[in-house]
Amino acid sequence: MLMVRMGWLVLVAALAGLLPGEAGAQMLNARRLGMGGVATSDNGASRSANIAFRAVPKGEGYGSIPLPLGLIQFAGDTPEFDPDDPDFNIFEILDLVSNPPLTLSLSKPDEVSGDISIFVAQDSLLVDLDDVRRVIPEEAMKNGGVYHLFGVGVGIKNFFAQVQPIVHVRNEFDLDSRLRAALRDAEPFVSDTRYGLTDDGVAQAAVAFQAGIALRAFHRPAPGGEEEVAEGEKSGDGDGDPPDPRAEDPRRNRSTSLYLGAAPKYLFGLAYGQVGGVGGITTGDTLFGSGDPVAFDMVARTRYAAVGEAGGMGHGYGSDIGAVFFWNNFELGIGVNDFGSVIAWDTTEKQHVYSDSLNEFVTTVQAVDEDFTSRIPPTTTVNVAKRMGPTTVAADIVDNERYTGIHMGAETWLGMFALRGGAYRDSNGRWQVTGGTGVRFGGVGLDLAVATHRRNVEESVATELSASLTLY
Amino acid sequence: MRRWFAVLSMLPLFVAGCGDRSLILTVDVLSFLDPADVSQAYGPIPGGVSGVTVDVASEEVSLLQGIEDVTEVSSAKLEIGASFDNTTGTADASFAIYITSGDSADAFSAPPITVIPVTLTPGAITIVSTEVSSDALAQALVQDKAKIGLRITFDTTASGVIPVQGTETITLLRAVVITKKDL
Repeated sequence: MLMVRMGWLVLVAALAGLLPGEAGAQMLNARRLGMGGVATSDNGASRSANIAFRAVPKGEGYGSIPLPLGLIQFAGDTPEFDPDDPDFNIFEILDLVSNPPLTLSLSKPDEVSGDISIFVAQDSLLVDLDDVRRVIPEEAMKNGGVYHLFGVGVGIKNFFAQVQPIVHVRNEFDLDSRLRAALRDAEPFVSDTRYGLTDDGVAQAAVAFQAGIALRAFHRPAPGGEEEVAEGEKSGDGDGDPPDPRAEDPRRNRSTSLYLGAAPKYLFGLAYGQVGGVGGITTGDTLFGSGDPVAFDMVARTRYAAVGEAGGMGHGYGSDIGAVFFWNNFELGIGVNDFGSVIAWDTTEKQHVYSDSLNEFVTTVQAVDEDFTSRIPPTTTVNVAKRMGPTTVAADIVDNERYTGIHMGAETWLGMFALRGGAYRDSNGRWQVTGGTGVRFGGVGLDLAVATHRRNVEESVATELSASLTLY
Repeated sequence: MRRWFAVLSMLPLFVAGCGDRSLILTVDVLSFLDPADVSQAYGPIPGGVSGVTVDVASEEVSLLQGIEDVTEVSSAKLEIGASFDNTTGTADASFAIYITSGDSADAFSAPPITVIPVTLTPGAITIVSTEVSSDALAQALVQDKAKIGLRITFDTTASGVIPVQGTETITLLRAVVITKKDL
């Protein structure tokens, strides 16, 4: 049993780690989470948001080491994974996947439970899912994102090169209003009515071979002296103290600076798959008559190519570009990842139609080795920040294929202690609130953040505590 | 009715996901009966005889396929309501309810789910209202087809020469089957 639990733990942790780029996903950098998850040039996690951040001198709090407190909680309160066990609850498992136990859960929605009732009469069918109704979404279920997995690279001065896997997944599943009402609102199924659903999904994987440059393109010292910090600390004044790194920090030295980054990439396509399907049932005159009055319809089109399969590998190009501008301790950044990223494939296209008479799917090949170009959707991040002595206020807008997220937050230092607060608009368009604190001991700090979220199948409010170490 | 399975087979999965929860299947058996069978006249049955049988209904109904495959019956009960508006004669009647799986030869080929004794007297309305538990009922109703039969057996020995006649009306036949996951 222990091995099973550990296996699940590893799987969950791997899933959590494999999806670092998903905005609105779990954030393990407590400093950043305390500020509403906002991206700035000095909270390391934002490197994936703007490639120009690479060229900006390290600011304060450039590195973060997560402290996965949730694993302790998980070890002490492991859900039941045995389907034969009476305590097994699949929704608890799904919650675990959507919200890996890396942060400490302070509150979570009530467990989905309750009996399911089905009422059958000759011309009536009512399904009451009771508590399970909570997991039937009010709107289309959308999920996915572009995930830049762990890359391997080298950097020499302003240049860098890296190899990085990319996974793009998008799926949208929807019920029509009648089926949703029948399942979510327990409205009875009625005769002569179609209950339909649709699904539209894409998944593709590639390896990006990327080379790029990130540099300071423009620099003008602040009028009357570049540094806000004591001039004598700029490069050391012979008193034995090390130079103050803030002297070179464009976020705080009132200089005017522009940093640019660009990195084209070759995309080696590993696999592509696409499915679009429409299906439904249409009830007859009598729901439970002597015959078979339910007509079942389903049509799905698939397109695929994969290394080692029909179509083989794909080839494509793309780029990451970014710019960040500093003026008077004000920061404005614009980064676009996967700008113009496309992959050309030789795809096989099939159509699958359910045959009512045969009671099976009939598949016809529509095309073989058909040229098809897939697109990896760009993610655009626009961020602003202003540093005023010990205080930073910041905000960003992240726009991607699925949603436009907004993050905003502030941080102020009171001696060695920091106070933070923020809010963000998650992938479902709901606002979440965050707050946190931190303490700094020389080059290392401990940060804690409390945040609300809805990363659960019930999409209900939960709260979490995130902890991390920050390297200053 | 197999196609309902495609839609509804996920319901036991929901049950499976909810810990030690149940799927409660309620079947309004009465709704499947021909309206002409729900209320019909009996008699005149000569007095002084026993073992006169009247088959009130015998029908095959389609239900939800797949329930049997993924759930395990925990309990089942049948709620029964009927009235006998007996106009003449006296009789001891047995009201038998048969519910069996669709692959049975006919509705009456298996033992009845229950047999309810009814005493009929002249000019009186006898109300029957009861509830019975039955494993056989559960096994029949979790299958995709079931056969339903209603049979009344009259013993008019006590009626003398007066024939027995009246009208029977089925007012309630509702089965409630509680199943647990069995995945």
